[in-house]
Amino acid sequence: MVDPLRLGRMLADNTLRHGYPLPVDPQVITGWAAEAGLPQPRPGRPVVFTGALYQLTPYIEALVELVGRFRDPRIPSLGLRLASSLPWSSELLLTLLETPEVARGVRRAWGILGSIARLLREAGMRPAYAWEADLYSGIMLYDLGMDEEFAQQAQRVHKLLRERGVEKVITLDPHTTHALRDLYPRYVDGYGLEVQSYLEVIDPSLISTKGEAGEVTIHDPCLYARKAGVVEQPRRILAARGLRIREPQMSGVNTYCCGGPIEGLAPRLSRRIAETRLSQLERASKTIVTLCPICNANLRAAAGGRGDLRILDLAELVGNA
Amino acid sequence: MEAREWLEQEVSKCVYCGFCEAVCPTLHAGGHRGYGPRGRINIIKKIVRDGEEPTPEALNSLYTCLLCGACDLQCPVGIRIAQAIREARPLVNRMAQERGLRITITPALKRT
Ligand code: SF4
Ligand code: SF4
Repeated sequence: MVDPLRLGRMLADNTLRHGYPLPVDPQVITGWAAEAGLPQPRPGRPVVFTGALYQLTPYIEALVELVGRFRDPRIPSLGLRLASSLPWSSELLLTLLETPEVARGVRRAWGILGSIARLLREAGMRPAYAWEADLYSGIMLYDLGMDEEFAQQAQRVHKLLRERGVEKVITLDPHTTHALRDLYPRYVDGYGLEVQSYLEVIDPSLISTKGEAGEVTIHDPCLYARKAGVVEQPRRILAARGLRIREPQMSGVNTYCCGGPIEGLAPRLSRRIAETRLSQLERASKTIVTLCPICNANLRAAAGGRGDLRILDLAELVGNA
Repeated sequence: MEAREWLEQEVSKCVYCGFCEAVCPTLHAGGHRGYGPRGRINIIKKIVRDGEEPTPEALNSLYTCLLCGACDLQCPVGIRIAQAIREARPLVNRMAQERGLRITITPALKRT
């Protein structure tokens, strides 16, 4: 019932018009950085680039749920009619999505981003933030095969960063890292940014050992583990804080996807995959560490509010010491 | 090399061994082999190399891939399966646009 081209069109139109796949207030995306006390870009300082993924994930979750509700088999004909008329105007859609729950999700995202900024400082880095340049990376457009739109967004982001003198970028999630490091160079002439994930730039030996003791398991995101080679770094950071790691079935390069990439197009299939992954993880530990907002949201949705599981972003677990 | 040419070369390498299937999350949950890497490679072959019109089920198959890359590690002939599926999408999008095909994703699930 979901037409990827139509969904992609809406995401692309918004991305090219507003910079984000939904017409959210830019403050939702950038507000955390003022709270975290990050300065504007300065020569020689790396710039944190969120690509808006953490902040937008609560909206994406709400959107998936909304579409799911219209597909409720108990109201087939109405469901079909409404679903096929989706997406309506993006502004109307956004109004429907701006619920207290989404607002809580955004607050949580801000908390995670602030914690990552503190972790970077603790490891001796002095990150800055480019307010006007922190747009969506466009990765969903690439995944949907909308190459021209993706190229436009890549060129725009690159230009905005370069105009602010940015040379080094610190990304915070696997999808944005993949977009800026592996894909942008193919779509932007004269691409000149050095891109690393925060997990790659933090030296764990500089992280203080005080923290929450205990045992956790870790869910490796596919792109980190298989593309970026980011496997050991998060484990070292967790270990530096005194956490013991129990490896799940399928970890490191052999990790098992959380199902997140298709939650918008094929929600039921996506959910089944998340349930499979969750059961692999919870056999290792009831505290599950994620490194990507999409994995976190998808695994949480599969857990369905179960009180015996904690599904936390790495920064939520180690960022506040 | 042009994307299409690369894609044709890549999918032509498949020897149908099926080693890639064991690790594919969408095949574990999906209704049939079309939800696995070997099925997807085959579909790309038909569409890109043989010029067949993509059926609705072929589109379900191509758009439900997670691009997770688990299959890539298993392929004995080194096909970059996830990348091939990704590269097939812009071509299929263009085909759909030109021929006025509507792509709707309603994947078949395995019965539980
Ligand atoms: S990349 Fe696609 S075909 Fe390969 S294992 Fe993942 S979901 Fe299956
Ligand atoms: S493992 Fe490679 S060669 Fe074997 S069926 Fe899969 S894609 Fe084809």
